[in-house]
Amino acid sequence: MEGKNISTHPDVPGEPKRTGTAMVETATATIQGFGPVNKIHQHLCASNEVVVIPYDCHIGRFHFYGHDMSRQVEAHHYCGHQNEEFRQCLIYDSPDAGARLIGLEYIVTENLFLTLPDAEKPLWHSHEFEVKGGFLFMPGVPGPVQRADLEKVAKTYGKTIHFWQVDKGDSLPLGVPQVMMALTREGQLYENLAHGVEKRFGVSFEKERENRAYMTGPAHGIHPLANAGGKGLKTVLRETDCMQASGRCCS
Amino acid sequence: MAAAHGETGTRGEDIPPGKPMSLEQTVMDKGAQMLQSLKPVKQMSQHVCSFALYSHEMTRQIEIHHYVARINQDFCQCAVYDTDDSTGRLIGVEYIVSDGIFETLPPEEQKLWHSHAYEIKSGLWVHPRVPEMVVKPELENLAKTYGKFWCTWQLDRGDRLPLGPPALMMSPQPVNLGMVKPGLIQKRDDKYNISSEALKTARAEIAEPEWINPQADYWKQHGKGFAIDVEPTEMKKRAPFS
Repeated sequence: MEGKNISTHPDVPGEPKRTGTAMVETATATIQGFGPVNKIHQHLCASNEVVVIPYDCHIGRFHFYGHDMSRQVEAHHYCGHQNEEFRQCLIYDSPDAGARLIGLEYIVTENLFLTLPDAEKPLWHSHEFEVKGGFLFMPGVPGPVQRADLEKVAKTYGKTIHFWQVDKGDSLPLGVPQVMMALTREGQLYENLAHGVEKRFGVSFEKERENRAYMTGPAHGIHPLANAGGKGLKTVLRETDCMQASGRCCS
Repeated sequence: MAAAHGETGTRGEDIPPGKPMSLEQTVMDKGAQMLQSLKPVKQMSQHVCSFALYSHEMTRQIEIHHYVARINQDFCQCAVYDTDDSTGRLIGVEYIVSDGIFETLPPEEQKLWHSHAYEIKSGLWVHPRVPEMVVKPELENLAKTYGKFWCTWQLDRGDRLPLGPPALMMSPQPVNLGMVKPGLIQKRDDKYNISSEALKTARAEIAEPEWINPQADYWKQHGKGFAIDVEPTEMKKRAPFS
């Protein structure tokens, strides 16, 4: 299953949309305001986690599962800014109209990351390696424009949750949410996954690496608790009374 | 620590905290938006406002805003926000499936899902600003569906940033813990100048599903909710790290 290309996965089960349904959607889409969604402005593609823009930006990248580095996913992020220091992203498995919404990510500056409780920090990952390595990119945006933004992203931390394990072949979003991690060193990313993305998007990670050599990561260095402190993280479902305190984290 | 239970979190200026957008960033974002095709997010064609309850603490109830993308006749995927204006914070994701699809799920999976019939028939689920007549066919369809909703940002307890593991959410139901607090409903109705009660009357003719799978709305039969814990574990590595 190494580096399986998720575009070979089965379709979502179900009948095609009926005309009546499509008509309702045209009406609602015309009448309603779409405030938070209109903000999506960036598409980031990380070879693992791609950031989606609310969504004014598309970012491509890659994520791996918090408990299993051998399972890696191409992730298309569509991101929007809440303010200069905070982005929220929808994550899809492709940049196409039929893409499956597989997760979400929050991206914060180092300043905001440092305000998080220590028990929370392990759920967040650093972006320095994948930005500087060229693995995180903005499809369609010219290099210099991308880099003006990505030099900021290199200093940020992200919290990524996936709900749909498309790499397992799940045709529906089954099971419990997964905490995802990002690339932090050389050799983690499957070559075939990388090459596949490079080819489809007409990019070269190696070339970008040279262009991004000037970038720096968080001012205080990558926090030792980030990236699950170098360990693995798994999510476990617990049955509880309906009147309990919230789920425990890292206890 | 927490905001009052059962109420939407304070809509302060500083949630999340952070500096206001710089002109430079705004220009950059606009530029990206013009250059990039944003196809997946453009599929969201409906805005729905409703309410949800935390499955592990059902007295905590929130107003929610779904931006719905229909993938096919049996499946929708939704980005969920705390409000419908441009400051809306992304608080989770919900998936919606037809009853046909739901019946194919294993029972252990079905426990994580909730039914929509009551929520729709009671007028709690609304499509703001869209005439009832226009959405009626969609409501008839949705009344038979099931949803799975993970909340990743618990604003109602005062979190200024998204903390902790995701929480499983449940839908309003016409029994004890599943009833939405009237104050919450009133606040929403006032905002949109609507009446959930009036909608309930208008929707009387929407057919009840013949049967709602008892694995859904798990708490009703079993008095139990679900929580997610995040635990350290050995990371399964790939060569050359293994």
